[in-house]
Amino acid sequence: MAFLTPLAFLGGLLIVPIVLLYMLRLRRQEVMVSTAFLWQQIVRDSEANTPWQRLRRNILLLLQIIILTLLVLALARPYIIVPAVSTGQIELLLDASASMNATDMPGGGTRFDEAKRQALGIIDTLNSSDTVTIIRVATVPEVIAPATTDANTLRAAITSAQPSQGAADWVAALTLASADAINARDFNLVIIGDGGLGNAQGLPGVPGKVQYIPVGQSGENQAITALATRALPGKVTELFAQITNYGRQAANVIFAVRIDGDLFSANRYTVPAGNSLPVISTQLPENFSTLEATITTSTSSSTPDYLPIDNQAWAISGNSGSQRALLLSNNNLFLDQVLRSLPSINSYRGDITRPLPNETYDLYILDSWLPVDGHLPNGDLLFVNPPRSTAYFTVGSETTDTGNIQIQADDPRMAFVDFANVNILKFRTLSNVQWADSLIQADGGPLLLMGERDGRQIGILTFDIHDSDLPLQITWPILMANMLEWFTPQDLVASTEGLKVGQSLSIRPPFEATNLQIILPDNQVKDLPIERQTIVFADTAQTGIYRVNVRNGEQTIETSAFAVNLFAPEESTLEPRPTISLSGNIVTAAVHDEIGQQEFWPLAVLLGLLVLMIEWIVYQRRMRTRTILRPIINRQRARSWAR
Amino acid sequence: MTYETLFDETTRRKLEQLTLIATRVRAGAMKGERRSTKRGTSIEFADYRDYAHGDDLRRLDWNIYGRLERPFIKLLEDEEDLAVHLLIDTSASMGWPQEGERNQNKFLYAQRLIAGLANISLASNDRLMLSTLGEGKPTQFGPVRGRGYSLTMLNFVSGLRTHGVTDLNATIKDYAVRGGRPGLCFIISDLFSPTGFQDGLNMLLGKGHEVGILHILSPDEIAPPLNGDLRLIDIETGQSQEVSLDGGMRDLYMKRFQAWRDEIEAICIKRGVHYITVETSSAWEKVILFNLRQLGAVK
Repeated sequence: MAFLTPLAFLGGLLIVPIVLLYMLRLRRQEVMVSTAFLWQQIVRDSEANTPWQRLRRNILLLLQIIILTLLVLALARPYIIVPAVSTGQIELLLDASASMNATDMPGGGTRFDEAKRQALGIIDTLNSSDTVTIIRVATVPEVIAPATTDANTLRAAITSAQPSQGAADWVAALTLASADAINARDFNLVIIGDGGLGNAQGLPGVPGKVQYIPVGQSGENQAITALATRALPGKVTELFAQITNYGRQAANVIFAVRIDGDLFSANRYTVPAGNSLPVISTQLPENFSTLEATITTSTSSSTPDYLPIDNQAWAISGNSGSQRALLLSNNNLFLDQVLRSLPSINSYRGDITRPLPNETYDLYILDSWLPVDGHLPNGDLLFVNPPRSTAYFTVGSETTDTGNIQIQADDPRMAFVDFANVNILKFRTLSNVQWADSLIQADGGPLLLMGERDGRQIGILTFDIHDSDLPLQITWPILMANMLEWFTPQDLVASTEGLKVGQSLSIRPPFEATNLQIILPDNQVKDLPIERQTIVFADTAQTGIYRVNVRNGEQTIETSAFAVNLFAPEESTLEPRPTISLSGNIVTAAVHDEIGQQEFWPLAVLLGLLVLMIEWIVYQRRMRTRTILRPIINRQRARSWAR
Repeated sequence: MTYETLFDETTRRKLEQLTLIATRVRAGAMKGERRSTKRGTSIEFADYRDYAHGDDLRRLDWNIYGRLERPFIKLLEDEEDLAVHLLIDTSASMGWPQEGERNQNKFLYAQRLIAGLANISLASNDRLMLSTLGEGKPTQFGPVRGRGYSLTMLNFVSGLRTHGVTDLNATIKDYAVRGGRPGLCFIISDLFSPTGFQDGLNMLLGKGHEVGILHILSPDEIAPPLNGDLRLIDIETGQSQEVSLDGGMRDLYMKRFQAWRDEIEAICIKRGVHYITVETSSAWEKVILFNLRQLGAVK
């Protein structure tokens, strides 16, 4: 046994003042008594005023000296030499990926619990000069304890660490760790995990000595590795799912689907070992908002499933995502190109020599053409240079009075639209269009009208774009993007196909929104102010359904949702890896080949506390108070009196 | 303090039924209401005396009253009186405890006892003497006889106060010298006198008194509720004693206290003195109605 701070033994000199305090005459409290002569006799008899005699008999003094001795011993930090995994400057990478939630450890403990236990074991055998940095390797690696020699700080960081629900970014973690190796002597990298390093295996130049402490015992796991819904216009909503068995035995699982919280179906499947099983359903109801799929191991199955986190997946009722627009034009390349360039819309070209297709579209663009039978299709309509009158307007004569073009600039549909340099040769005058807003107006009449009629949105460009230089101006795609945004507003949430844990999401709130409220799967509420047109939300560390409320002040004006799933084969593959490959080198399980120090000062402190408790009990027994004694004595006297 | 606070009417009536008994009867100089142990002269008429308020009406000579219309009490030859001496310690230590429950104050307790005994004595037409054992010249009441002095006696008792240091030996000796005819003598005291009381007691016994000691103690003197490092100051003498009081020291005190009481009791038994230890937490009437009866000092 040796001591890290032997100077602390100087604290033992405190015994001297303690003894002196006992020897000093006390400043006594004066108390009146009815007589003192009996006390005088007692004191004379016991010779209680002799200090050395009191000291000899005082157990309190003895206990206090023992307490001080134990505290001094603790301060001296005694230690013994023990074998250790690593010493020097240690960079401890604690795998906190989703696979570390696996419960394949003895007693049903998780791999992460075992990893923490191993990490604490390293901390317990540190030398006094060793420094340790702890990095929690999750979707975003984080330093939970910067380089320190303070074992308490390190223990607290390890104890409070929690596993994540996503894949680990080992490239970022190893890069972060390597950054500390600059100018470091005796640099050691210790990786505690189940060995799933992903694409970090090929990372070049990891400095120092790399140690690997493998965690995990079994690879048996079944997971939902894909889940999606698809709703095409005019077709039933389809569900696609995939169940994968990563284990070495075939597994019987029950695949259950809940729609909006209610059980919709539950089917039993047998998934062969190391294989995937697709599940497709076309029986989903037409209108629903959320879908949750779970797999549970059948009671008849003896194959365990050690990772529960990948047994659940969520999906949002999906349509095809982008809106569909049908362009009915006689080869108008300007329109065709601008429609193709807009990401929010899927454009299709129609044949104006044939009847209208039976398929429905969200928007019909009728360029200098109208159906021969005069029957307009069901959907939103954008007329460009209408050749004749319809039920919604009456076409008049052409005019060249295109001077003094005015734009209704305060309308959001005209945001960033500039017609100052646009020249228009001629346009058609329209009448019976009181239902529409004239957004661009020339002296001769409106150039652009937009409004709603009969439950559909209708826009009218009253001129042929070939008769203008508008398509050559920068304002052309802006105008079209604004108009199509009005016709087919983009989804609030950019992705309805779902995200993986840790991925970010773009949210495009409507114009009038003031703030966003996002309710996480654990019902935690995040309030986000709207400071720009698109908001990026990255706090997707949990799997489940995230609900988005768009608010204008206190009023919710629009809601949406998105799903976050694990869907990470490298995490669902639980098979423990006894070695890892890093920088082209094979790293085997670490051995205790270093010399460490194990301190046992807490034992001395514990003993000190124990003796302190004994000292307190002894003191209390000596100093029994009046309130305790008096009623007892009175009762005893009363009884003896009655006798 | 007024005499009403000493005891109530019910207690007074109970006490009037009692008589003080001296086992070694000292024959009185006057005729009284106490039957003599002498034989041959019983129920012989001896004399008359004036009726005093409170006298037993059964002893009134109704024939004389019919003739003269004045009440006379008929005294018989076979009755004798008893001299009763009641000595109360008025030292400062008797005023303990100064705080807490008033009924546990030793001096109030002693006042009640002495008033009760005096009341019995007056009701029995005994020759009563009350005297204080205290610093300076003793205060004295009596000798008196008859119920007519009850009120005066109560006023006297209730007017007593504690003060100063009492040398019990000296004051008892002094009373033995000046106390007159020997009789039944009760000393009511806490006996906290460093010089002791044995010499005084011997003097009383030598004078022919039959002595009873009522040793008054308060509960916190028997088991002091003290702890810590203290300087104890004697309320009577002003002397101080430093003590580090803990459980062990308290046990030592209680043992020493018990030994002191046992020592006093042994002295009393040896001399044929009635000795009763009285704790002020118990009812004072019980001392007269139970303890003194048990000893045969009261019937």
